[in-house]
Parts: sequence; structure tokens; C-alpha cells
Amino acid sequence: MKSKDEDLSHLVARIALQDRTAFRAVYHQTSPKLFGVCLRILKDREDAQDALQEVYVKIWRNAPRFAGSNVGPMPWLGAIARNHAIDVLRARRPPSDSLDNEERQFPDGAPDPETSAVLKGEGRRIDRCMQELDPHRAEAVKSAYVEGLSYQELAKRHEVPLNTMRTWLRRSLLSLRECMER
Amino acid sequence: MNNPDQSEGDRARDEVLAGEYVLGVLSAENRARVEARIRRDRAFAAIVARWEENLSPLNEEYESIAPPDFILPMVERRVLSARRRQEQGGMLAALWGSLALWRFVALASLFLFAGTMFFNARQPVAVTPQPLRPLAELSGENNAVSLAARYDAANGHLRLTPVATAAEDQHSLELWVIDGADPAVSLGILPQSGEGELSVPETLRPKLKDGVTLAVSLEPYGGSPSGAPTGPVLAKGRAQMH
Repeated sequence: MKSKDEDLSHLVARIALQDRTAFRAVYHQTSPKLFGVCLRILKDREDAQDALQEVYVKIWRNAPRFAGSNVGPMPWLGAIARNHAIDVLRARRPPSDSLDNEERQFPDGAPDPETSAVLKGEGRRIDRCMQELDPHRAEAVKSAYVEGLSYQELAKRHEVPLNTMRTWLRRSLLSLRECMER
Repeated sequence: MNNPDQSEGDRARDEVLAGEYVLGVLSAENRARVEARIRRDRAFAAIVARWEENLSPLNEEYESIAPPDFILPMVERRVLSARRRQEQGGMLAALWGSLALWRFVALASLFLFAGTMFFNARQPVAVTPQPLRPLAELSGENNAVSLAARYDAANGHLRLTPVATAAEDQHSLELWVIDGADPAVSLGILPQSGEGELSVPETLRPKLKDGVTLAVSLEPYGGSPSGAPTGPVLAKGRAQMH
């Protein structure tokens, strides 16, 4: 898996040199994942398609910054996709409650063996650190990340006051940081 | 002010703020503030990057779903037209100096410019503004840029509507009028996007006549420092007045 990451790193670095072939290769390797990101956060197919276009235009433009970023290629690409999708989401009216509640019905599936095998050291560490959190708070952290929920939406979903949710998440972040550095 | 971007020096606050940003829980306003700080504060940017890396295993939650086929060609068209503009930026003087390289786009846009002028002159009481007639359509190679020029002879307003000016860098688009072999004369700077209007100084108005060339060049921000075009011509067209 390391070598696959390295390959992707090289491809992204080549985009910085405006290598169109590399750009296509990166697109083919990563667009299903990044489309999944856009769809999950935006919950609308057309919006997700528009977002995905913007995401790859940004990847092309920001590629020169990748080399100096000290972040792996998938986290880097994923951050561009998540940030863009969340920006679009925030620019919209808040999503309807019904969709949120519906989404909540689905229990979190365990990662399948194949993706588990891909977990790097950092990955195992975040899992362990998440397990140290109160389960409700861990769930709030995870749904904030995966779905791009705002504090307001999280508070509503977990049926706690907004300030409580803020305190939960901020403390969770500090615990996570402390755990990761251990 | 107690902005999220004012917590320099407070390590724990920075960690939390960066974490909140990466989680995505902040409002649009606070996200914009954090992004501004990422751009100017390297230490803070590194904290954000570390959260991105640390939390990225949660990306496994996202399913992979093949996007429709039309996305890649659309993205490529956008990035390649931007790239073409950059390439032109490398060969400015050559492009400007060589008329042969200018792609001549013949313009079907024909206007009743003179007619409008006479109409206005003879009926000065008719104050209802006439819709501006197109004066010229300017386009660049592969339509990297295209502009429609409309001229209001009554007040000397020359209005440009740039289309697809995706130049995201710190440059200005400058409009020039070229009469035969005379040096290009600047008519002003165009806005990067949207509809722009230039007021043509009275002394230059006689220059806007049949057959002159209008051209837009890419110049350093604020316009050509020398008063003569220095950048590549992005679009040009010949004025036709009937």
C-alpha cells in the first residue's frame, strides 16, 4: 500500500508540472472516492457533480502546494473535496431535518476487511483514540467529519443544547490530540 | 474582537480551532476566517494539516461511487484553457509583436452604431436610453476569453461584457484600440468578471471608428506599467460601424 501511496504522490506532484496524463490518472484513481465524499456531504447528485468538477479544478490549481504540504496524497485530496463540499453545504440553507433523521437510522458498519488492511499506523491510532472517547461524543466527532454537520445540526441530532455540543466536541478534540501524541 | 483567527499563541485554542475546521463544524463565516489564517500563518497551517492527516482514516466511511463520464472532459476544458493563458503569458512580447499570430476572428456583429448616433442627435428629447448596440465581439484563441463591446455614442460609454475570464491570478485585462499601424492606445482596465463599462475620454472617441481593432491584453495588476501593451493578446476584433 505504501507504494500505491507513493505512486499517487508522484502523480499529484506531476500535476504541478501541468502533466495532463498524470491528471487523468489521478482522476481515474480517486474520483469515485471523492465523488462519494461530495455525495455524502451534499446529499444531492447534481450538487455533488458540480462540486466534483470544482474539486478537480482545485486539485489542478493547488497541486504545486502538495509537495510542501507534508500530507499524504489521499488525505490531501480528501481535504480538498471535503472542504469544498462543506463550503457548498454552508452556503446553502440548512438541510431538512427529515434527511438527517433518516440518515441516523443507519448503524455504522464496520469497515470491510480490505479497507481495514489499508489502515496505516495513523489510522489505527485514531481508532484507538476514538474508542477512548465517550461513545456519544465519538459518534458526534465522526458524523461531524463524515457528513460535514454544523454545530447546530449536531446539537439537534444528539438532542443537546448547542453549547453542550460545542463543549463536547472541543473537549473531544483536545483528548484526541493528547491521545495521538502519546 | 474575539475572532477565531486571533488566538495566536494559545496552543490549545489553535488545536481546537484547527480541529473544528477540519471536522467541518464551523459556520461559513468562521471557515473563511480560518482559511485566511491558514494562508498567512504557517504554524497554524501545519496544525490544520496534521488534523487532516490524523482524521483522514475516517475517509473510509465514504463509499466509492463512479462519477458520470462527462465530468472529466468538463474539468479538462476548464484547466486547459487556464493553462493556455499561462503559456501565452510566457511569450508576451512575441505574441504582441506578431500580428500574424493574432487569430483574426471576423465578426458578424454588426451594428447600427452610426444610425443610433444620428437618431440621438436629431431627437435630443428622446431621453429613454436605447439598448446599447454591440460594437464588436472580441474573442481569443479557442475562446479562452470572449468579450462583447457595446458603445453608447451619446455619452461615450463603452461597455464590455467579458465571458469566461477565468484568470484567477493577479492580472488585469486592459482594452486597447489600434488604428492601422499606430501604436495601441489604452482605453482602460476591464473588471475581471461580470459586465464592465469604460468611459472613453472625449479625446479618444474619434478613435472608435470603422475598421479599428479593439484588443484585450493580459497586463500586470492595475494595467500596463509602460502605457503600451506588454502582455499577450487574449482577444481582439475589428470594429464595424455601419
